[in-house]
Amino acid sequence: MEKAKTIRPALSGAGKVRIFGRTYHRDQLLCALVLMIPVLVAVFMLFILPVIQVIRYSFTNFALNTGKGDYVGIENYKYLFQDERMFKAFFNTACFAVLKLVFDTGLALLIALMLDSNVPLRKFLRSTYFAPVVVPVVASSLIWIWFFDPDVGPLNQILGFFGIQPLGWLYSENTALISILIFSVWKGVGYNVMLFLTGLQNIPDSYIEAAKVDGASNFQSLVRIKLPLLRPITSFIVMIGIINTFKVFAEVNVMTPKGGPGYSTAMIVNYIYEQAFTRGKMGRACAASIILFVVIFIFTTIQSRLNSSKEVSYE
Amino acid sequence: MSKSKLKRYNWFIFVLLFIGSLTMIFPFVWMILSSFKTVRDVYTYPPKWLPSEWKWTNFETVFRMIPFGRYYLNSIFTSVAQTFLQIVLSIFGAYCITFLDFPGKKKLTVLIRSTMFVPMVVTLVPMYLIVAKLHGIDTYGGIILPQVFSAFTLFLISSFFAAIPKDLVDSARIDGCGYFRIMGTIVIPNSKASISTAALFSFLGHWKSYTWPLIITNKDKYRTLPIGMKYLVQESSSEYQVMMAASVMAILPVLILFVLFEKQLVKSVTLTGMKA
Amino acid sequence: MKKVIIVLIAMLVATGMVFAQAATETAAAEARPEVVGIKIWYSISGANGEFFKSQVEAFLAAHPEIKAEEITYTGSYADSATKISAARLAGEAPDMIITSASQLYPGEDGNFRMEELAKDAELNYADFQEGILEYAKYNGQLAALPFAISTPIVYYNKDLVKKAGLDLVANPPKTWDEFVEVCKKVMAANEGVSGFDASDSVWLFKSMLYQNGNPVVEQKGETVTPVFDNESGIEVATYWKKLVDEGVMAAQQHDTAEKRFQAGTLAFVSATSNRLAKWAGNLGFELGAIEMPYFKTPSVALGGSTVTILATDKWKEDACWQLIKYVLNTENQTAFSLASGYLPIRKSSLENADVKAYIADSELYAVATKQLSYAWAYTHFGAMGSMDNFFWYALDNIESGKSTPAEAMKQAVKETIAEL
Repeated sequence: MEKAKTIRPALSGAGKVRIFGRTYHRDQLLCALVLMIPVLVAVFMLFILPVIQVIRYSFTNFALNTGKGDYVGIENYKYLFQDERMFKAFFNTACFAVLKLVFDTGLALLIALMLDSNVPLRKFLRSTYFAPVVVPVVASSLIWIWFFDPDVGPLNQILGFFGIQPLGWLYSENTALISILIFSVWKGVGYNVMLFLTGLQNIPDSYIEAAKVDGASNFQSLVRIKLPLLRPITSFIVMIGIINTFKVFAEVNVMTPKGGPGYSTAMIVNYIYEQAFTRGKMGRACAASIILFVVIFIFTTIQSRLNSSKEVSYE
Repeated sequence: MSKSKLKRYNWFIFVLLFIGSLTMIFPFVWMILSSFKTVRDVYTYPPKWLPSEWKWTNFETVFRMIPFGRYYLNSIFTSVAQTFLQIVLSIFGAYCITFLDFPGKKKLTVLIRSTMFVPMVVTLVPMYLIVAKLHGIDTYGGIILPQVFSAFTLFLISSFFAAIPKDLVDSARIDGCGYFRIMGTIVIPNSKASISTAALFSFLGHWKSYTWPLIITNKDKYRTLPIGMKYLVQESSSEYQVMMAASVMAILPVLILFVLFEKQLVKSVTLTGMKA
Repeated sequence: MKKVIIVLIAMLVATGMVFAQAATETAAAEARPEVVGIKIWYSISGANGEFFKSQVEAFLAAHPEIKAEEITYTGSYADSATKISAARLAGEAPDMIITSASQLYPGEDGNFRMEELAKDAELNYADFQEGILEYAKYNGQLAALPFAISTPIVYYNKDLVKKAGLDLVANPPKTWDEFVEVCKKVMAANEGVSGFDASDSVWLFKSMLYQNGNPVVEQKGETVTPVFDNESGIEVATYWKKLVDEGVMAAQQHDTAEKRFQAGTLAFVSATSNRLAKWAGNLGFELGAIEMPYFKTPSVALGGSTVTILATDKWKEDACWQLIKYVLNTENQTAFSLASGYLPIRKSSLENADVKAYIADSELYAVATKQLSYAWAYTHFGAMGSMDNFFWYALDNIESGKSTPAEAMKQAVKETIAEL
């Protein structure tokens, strides 16, 4: 991903090739060719071909249960841009994405740093943070649906213990999205904790010790050494976070199958799913996916631009 | 390592982490307890924590209703195969885009990244048509191959590759190592921990995969565990306690795998050349 | 002359080929393969699915000339729709399917072979309950047959009702107004207990529309028009709002209805009839049921799944038909109904001794079977899935107060029309 990492060839001038006005090294090209071929075949078969179909369908009124579709021009796009529910779904997704990114990344980094410090039962603690990731979504959302139950769920019972008014959780427009967020952070934070921890463990001890010899405090070594070295993994987590929160589907579909009270939890992929499979409007669903594709593309491009400009300022 | 252990434990952080831990595993405990409950235990108010009687009936139900063993083996086989292929492809791709320079690299990177933007929900039908044309319905290949590539895994590994000290790689090159050898002897051994993390994540993703195996398989012979678990859930109202029993059984191997991998994680970190 | 001969020979050869072709074709059409393999997909989950499978296996054991290549569970109704649609697109469609509104598939292809097949005397078409056959039609024509059929039933918690000093067996509420009064009495006698809710609000609402003389949709020829935004529709929507306003039904809590009922904090719940087998004897209180309250005429909307044939091959179609006749015969349908809690769809089932005994024994089952006499189904059409969605949004908006009942109904009709 990072240019600066490209291997410097050993002998200058040996086996140089010029393509489109740039110089490459023959051995590198050969190696890249051999390694990239299987990757490209997979990308072509598994993504490019289906996506071409999706693009084609997006201009038809392709209906799932008849299997027939006629060309309708930009009719699907027109419909979508007039559909309040699509905008609501995008809005919900954006709210959810921002909150989840903040919690998932921030909380995960905090937990990872704490787990990386000297505490007893470290291995056990680490496993517990990761455990929710392992539980299948269907099973874990069933548990949480139970927890969130306003009448018979333990959460309101606990709130009641502290004298707090019971909440509607998944069943009230004000709290439904937040409830899903809580579940989603519980389910997903361990993922990022693991990533950060792996990143932290990859930092050679010698770096930290050298800093200590120079008299750096724990905090200083955190800010000066650990955080900068965690940058690649952080930017990866943020990028993946953007993509995955825009694609969030399963937990929402299980917990609030019809988009929740007042359509307050409907995410864009739920909207697409509803169009495609509940209503059978495959063409329309494909058009909505193209819109989603463009939106994610824009966001991740902004993110990687921001990230690479930061990089320059560091060096 | 041993030196840091002599230091005093940080009890304040421990307490914070421990409270967090309890929150994380509470639902988990609830699941295990519920897998022993009866319908009546499940639906009482106020909620009942312990089952009135510890019985294995729910687990028996699971075995009676679905060919659990067969589904289990299928799940293990397909998940492992998918994970293996995915890791190999990802290492290849990640090595190229991290360490090598070739024309069109930037565009390819963007292309590969874009594959993540398309929700599975929409590519499902086109993908099915492709696999059907290749006679992949009701075959292991049909389950496995469409899920062997993940840009997520590729970029995950790539971002770990990026953290390998540049000097390590460059010096190998100066010593006269070829590019394939650098990958095999420097890059991969130095990111073992990261690759196992990526493999674990990839495995988890495949282990729970439901929709694709459901539409691409018809025969019990090829069906996987998540399909069996869905089968146990009745339309709209679920046999909550049976579902919990099935979940407990489904996650057990993953937990074991995690414990095993954890050892591997720690070990590989201490073994890396960077520590020297 | 030469030319003429050549032409003649050519014609001879050509006709010969045509005949040869025709001969092989008819041969192919007439010769029945020794064993006909069929693929069966169904979306009945769990124990009920197991029971269906055992019936199929019994059939196969008696018919060695038919083989099941697949007996496949296809997931929830939504998952099944995905799977069946994808398979149809790829030309891999199964030969026989059992799922919700299975008639949509042959129906949208214009394939109404079922009309012909159902004339088979062995099926005894006239024996099906009135109304239930409507549930298997597409645009007014038979494109499937009913299989696992249910209706909504109003279950109640007898313990809570007793505390209010009421006996609903001797004195059941008939109309919605009477029912609301009963709910209020039960709520007054039990602190912290809510009155009534429906786990499937749309299903109940459609039943209520019919009770008020509104047919949901009207059909003229090929065109279907939603009509629930007229006066009788808005009346029902207004009543729905009244249920919320008077505190009898909580707003936007349908997803928790069954759970609250099972936990004893909800007195009445409208839920599918196949909860009957599952709940009876398994709850911490005594379970009761009343016939669905009504406005003008008693009525409940049908639900569940239908069976149809997708096979176009003559012999496969025939094999599927044999199997369908078998699983739908009185004996097997009765057994399936008793084992699963789905309703008996044949009149003759009600004559069965086991069923009679069950009805006499279980007032719940008695209520369920009584409701069959006024169960109905509205016209099935392509956009009905969308319409259900719009209904759900409309009820949600009515309950939260975002729209007036009239606005919500008008909006739902407008959106449904746009989907047609």
